[in-house]
Amino acid sequence: MSDDAILRAVGVSKRFGAFSAVTDVDYVLREGEVAGIIGPNGAGKSTFFNLMTGLYAPTQGRIEFRGRDVTRLDAHQRVALGIVRTFQLVSVFGSLSVIENLILSVLRFREGAMKPWRFLFAKAHSVEVEDACLAALQRVGIAHLASAPTSTLSYGDKRRLEIAMSLSLNPRVLLLDEPLAGLGDGEITEVLELVREVCKSVTLVIIEHKISRIVDLVGRLSVMCEGRLLADGDPRRVLEDPEVRRVYWGDKAVAAAS
Amino acid sequence: MISTLAYGLTIGGILYIISIGLTLTFGTMRIVNFAHALVYTVGAYVVMTVTARIWDNFVFAGLVAVAVAVPLSYLIERFVIRRLYGQSIDYAIIATYAVLLVGVDVVKWLWGATPMPLSDPLNGAFVVLGGVELPLYRILVIAVALVVFAALEVFFRRTMVGKIVVAGLENKEAVRSLGINVDRFFTIVFLIGSALAALGGVLYAPITSIHPYMGFQVLLLCFAVVLVGGMGSIRGSFVAAFVLGLVIAVTGRFWGPAAETMVFVVMAAVLIFKPIEA
Repeated sequence: MSDDAILRAVGVSKRFGAFSAVTDVDYVLREGEVAGIIGPNGAGKSTFFNLMTGLYAPTQGRIEFRGRDVTRLDAHQRVALGIVRTFQLVSVFGSLSVIENLILSVLRFREGAMKPWRFLFAKAHSVEVEDACLAALQRVGIAHLASAPTSTLSYGDKRRLEIAMSLSLNPRVLLLDEPLAGLGDGEITEVLELVREVCKSVTLVIIEHKISRIVDLVGRLSVMCEGRLLADGDPRRVLEDPEVRRVYWGDKAVAAAS
Repeated sequence: MISTLAYGLTIGGILYIISIGLTLTFGTMRIVNFAHALVYTVGAYVVMTVTARIWDNFVFAGLVAVAVAVPLSYLIERFVIRRLYGQSIDYAIIATYAVLLVGVDVVKWLWGATPMPLSDPLNGAFVVLGGVELPLYRILVIAVALVVFAALEVFFRRTMVGKIVVAGLENKEAVRSLGINVDRFFTIVFLIGSALAALGGVLYAPITSIHPYMGFQVLLLCFAVVLVGGMGSIRGSFVAAFVLGLVIAVTGRFWGPAAETMVFVVMAAVLIFKPIEA
């Protein structure tokens, strides 16, 4: 039990009816770490993220943030603590403009901080808020698109916007769910560059489908398969694990390698 | 023909005001709320009772009716609908329909089952348009609908709560993941929708007769509006309500019995060409 654990899952399971999406996972994320989670489709990676961030309640087990049990906190309450995530399918709001998307994250309506009826008629724009939004857009390199309707953005720019929004939430730990999925080759390089920049200041967990893309980025790699944590540790060691090789490349590859 | 069109727009205006709540509750919470019709009915009964017993002032009575509807709908939301979030849509239909049936019986118990009229609050004042006499009250109803539309546009485009709700209509979990307790804002929207349902009851009361089952008929028409306009679409409902109002009025002029049936013919046609993606 190390004290620098920022996020910890203890014996976490999630069942949907008879199907067990995540089974008895123990996971510890340390402060300042850059961790990767890989695994085949349907391995339970995104479900695991949903459990950590509070979109799902676990069937069993508990989630701790800096030693505090947060299992019963809702998603929005966990965001207030600093547990922030992005989605596999980029989740920005197409019916709002780029800057309005950011305003939603900059203002951060924390539980109890502001009663809804007090700003029922509050104006959406103010100079300070707008400056903060522009600075956040600058950071991801899309400040020139501030007033554009979000639906007109390329997928890569939407991904950058989503990352800008999650950074505006002042995260302590950032969970990126396949941030490179659906991007072109050029965009992948740029977003990876951005992620490298981000992980200097924030503890990061990144789900990725293709191992090669993140193996240089992460200091630690976990492999999920059929809802279980198969391996966890130094990326090279994990990739040499015969069980991991069997899951990822099939028995033949293991036979050929040995 | 002018009076037919004016009548159609009046009906359209009322349908719009009532449909807003339905479309927003479906769009934000994926809940089909039959109890909406009860709030509408109560609105009509309260306006009648207040003008008859307390103060014969239609505007005052209307405000009382809307004020009564808000706590009533809050109770329905708090104790019935809130328990059904995220559940299968059928549960909400069954539960809110039960609320409607119980509520209608309570209305019968309080006011009796006899249909009751409410006189024109403007004492039959009229305006002349193109050589035709049009009841001023009906023209005012159209104006109120336009004001409601404009107010909602400002609310959803210019206020923070409005933007949160618009974002929530698109992707609730993403809003939640920005640290926003989105359900609380949906409750606000629910109450706004209910207040408007009561307003619809108030506005329709002098045009129709007030009876315990008045909500059922309007509810079906409003579902047609919501389906034609696109569930969760605020502007879509606006257009659909006026189009269907005109359909009722124009069909009714040529063949009375088919007036409301025609609404569902239009609805069916729209659904054939634009099926619902739920």
